[in-house]
Amino acid sequence: MIVAENLTKTFRDKKRGLVKAVSNVSLTSEPGKIFGLLGANGAGKTTTLRMLATLLEPTRGTATIAGFSIRDNPQEVRRNIGFLSGSTALYGRLTAREMIQYFGKLNGMSGPELTSRIDELVERLEIGEFQNGRCDKLSTGQKQRVSIARSIVHSPPVMIFDEPTSGLDVMTSQTIMAFIEQCRTDSLTVVFSTHIMSEVERLCDHVAIVHKGIIAAEGSVGDLHAQTGETSIEKAFLKIVNGMEAEDV
Amino acid sequence: MEWRQKMSRTSLTSTVFLKEIRETLRDKRVILGVIVSPLLVTPLLIGTVLFFAGKKEIEKQASIVEVGIVEQSAFPELVKRLKTDEGFNAHEIDSREAAKQAIEDRTIRAALIISENAQTEFSSNNSAPLEILYNFANENSQYAQARLRNFIGKFDKEALADRIEAASLSENFAKPTKVETTNIAAGSSAGSFVLGLFLPYIIVMSAAFGGIQTAFDLCAGEKERGTMETLLVSPASRYEIVTGKLLTILTISFIASCCAITGIIAPIAFGLEFFKKLVGDSISINFISVVWMMLIVIPLALFTSSLLLVISSFARNQKEAQTYILPFFAVVILPAVLSTVLGAESHIYTAFIPILNISLTMKQIFGDLFDPLYFGISLATSFLYAFLAMRLAASFFQREQILFRT
Repeated sequence: MIVAENLTKTFRDKKRGLVKAVSNVSLTSEPGKIFGLLGANGAGKTTTLRMLATLLEPTRGTATIAGFSIRDNPQEVRRNIGFLSGSTALYGRLTAREMIQYFGKLNGMSGPELTSRIDELVERLEIGEFQNGRCDKLSTGQKQRVSIARSIVHSPPVMIFDEPTSGLDVMTSQTIMAFIEQCRTDSLTVVFSTHIMSEVERLCDHVAIVHKGIIAAEGSVGDLHAQTGETSIEKAFLKIVNGMEAEDV
Repeated sequence: MEWRQKMSRTSLTSTVFLKEIRETLRDKRVILGVIVSPLLVTPLLIGTVLFFAGKKEIEKQASIVEVGIVEQSAFPELVKRLKTDEGFNAHEIDSREAAKQAIEDRTIRAALIISENAQTEFSSNNSAPLEILYNFANENSQYAQARLRNFIGKFDKEALADRIEAASLSENFAKPTKVETTNIAAGSSAGSFVLGLFLPYIIVMSAAFGGIQTAFDLCAGEKERGTMETLLVSPASRYEIVTGKLLTILTISFIASCCAITGIIAPIAFGLEFFKKLVGDSISINFISVVWMMLIVIPLALFTSSLLLVISSFARNQKEAQTYILPFFAVVILPAVLSTVLGAESHIYTAFIPILNISLTMKQIFGDLFDPLYFGISLATSFLYAFLAMRLAASFFQREQILFRT
């Protein structure tokens, strides 16, 4: 389970001065549900997810993941999450199997437990054919499958996806989407950021529209339709965002 | 509980280290630069240069030098000897000006100008005035001048012996003192001294530069390729990650130094002639010195590895890291060069100067001038500087604005 309370992140920029990247973001995501963060580029989605993953320290606010505080117990938080983003790369000079093994070891696994888990993932994600091939020789689709295996080798109860299909072709995107759905079936807690409306409609149980670092609206896809009186998530998103822009003016 | 945490930390650090080493040793650029080049290419290059230099020297010594003689009738005794010497081909030249022109035209390499009263002065037991004309800008002309001086030196020695005999004087008349010099250095330490002149420089350079490719690949490269985020989101702490990476750079730098030492020492140890010429024929290697040197390269490599890690953690990508490398070059090269100029028994304050202190300690070890105080201070300060650089690298790893700079 993920519970975030008033997560805020500010940083100093030479040109722009003090920038509020994320402001008072609160969210709750439950096991077996997919929580989507929908927003344009630069809206604050990645910063929010990086705070949840303990990559960035919040300026204010906090969150608990699987019962561990991101402030007080970041190492345990990281032990309980799997993180996958579209820009995630692999170590080119390791083989696919070595890559999965490395992250298993970093998560405290070893011996027969690790070997059997790798074998299971290799079979489940159909990596067997290229498991001993170097990662820099793999196709994009093969790399994504290895990335998935890497992110779940330690069987985390929480999965964080940061624009996982960004830059991928349709076929590879489908693999990722199917994997996210599988995470829901396996009762994992899933937080997922995207700017692609169709992905939200297909995957998310709960959506938060993020704009300029704040949650502008949230609810199920149906709730957002009802709130805006629109029939598509794209139109609902634009109405909410344009409404905020108009208020700013 | 505490020891368990420590064990877990060590285990994650070693996991990072083993993975980085495995990946680094699969990098052909590293293998070429760190192992193949110092072990094969460098000795081959040095060997080739020395072989051809030696060959040229032998050819020079066997060659016949074209020289001119001006006013040759003024000193027939000397001229006769010069004309019959197999090492010279003496030509008669009319005037000083003509000799100068001939040297410039390279028809002769040097000329001996004999003054009109040379024979008279010589016969009167005075000094016969002679002049050697040569061109300093021409290597062959310089060599001809040296050969002429050598020839005249021999002539003088024989003439002096004749004069002493004619005057019924003792042989020691022209030797007011009799000096003998005895070198108390053992054969190995004499050879080691010669090695100590340049080996520390080579070792420092290889320790410092051997790790560059690895350092840039492990941090700036990871940021560039997008694997850094994946690693940071693992349970390994940033301290464990940075330590694992630092140990990798240190190991590669150490391997680079060992290969550089082996690349120089091994050919000498195997007795290749042209390598012997480099250090003198009497050389024998003091292997204890070599082992010592390999050990004291560790704090040096730790210091340079930490500096490289600082640069690499700060840079956004490998290209940017390369632009930050210039100050690093200055920090390493200046003390390394200075160590070749300064004597091994330098002032104690040099023991506080990073890199220079280790270079001079190596020099001391090779020259049998080991000073425990100097060694202790050098070692302590080197570890201190390495620790400070390590802390700086670790603090960079904690700073979000550096790790996630775009």
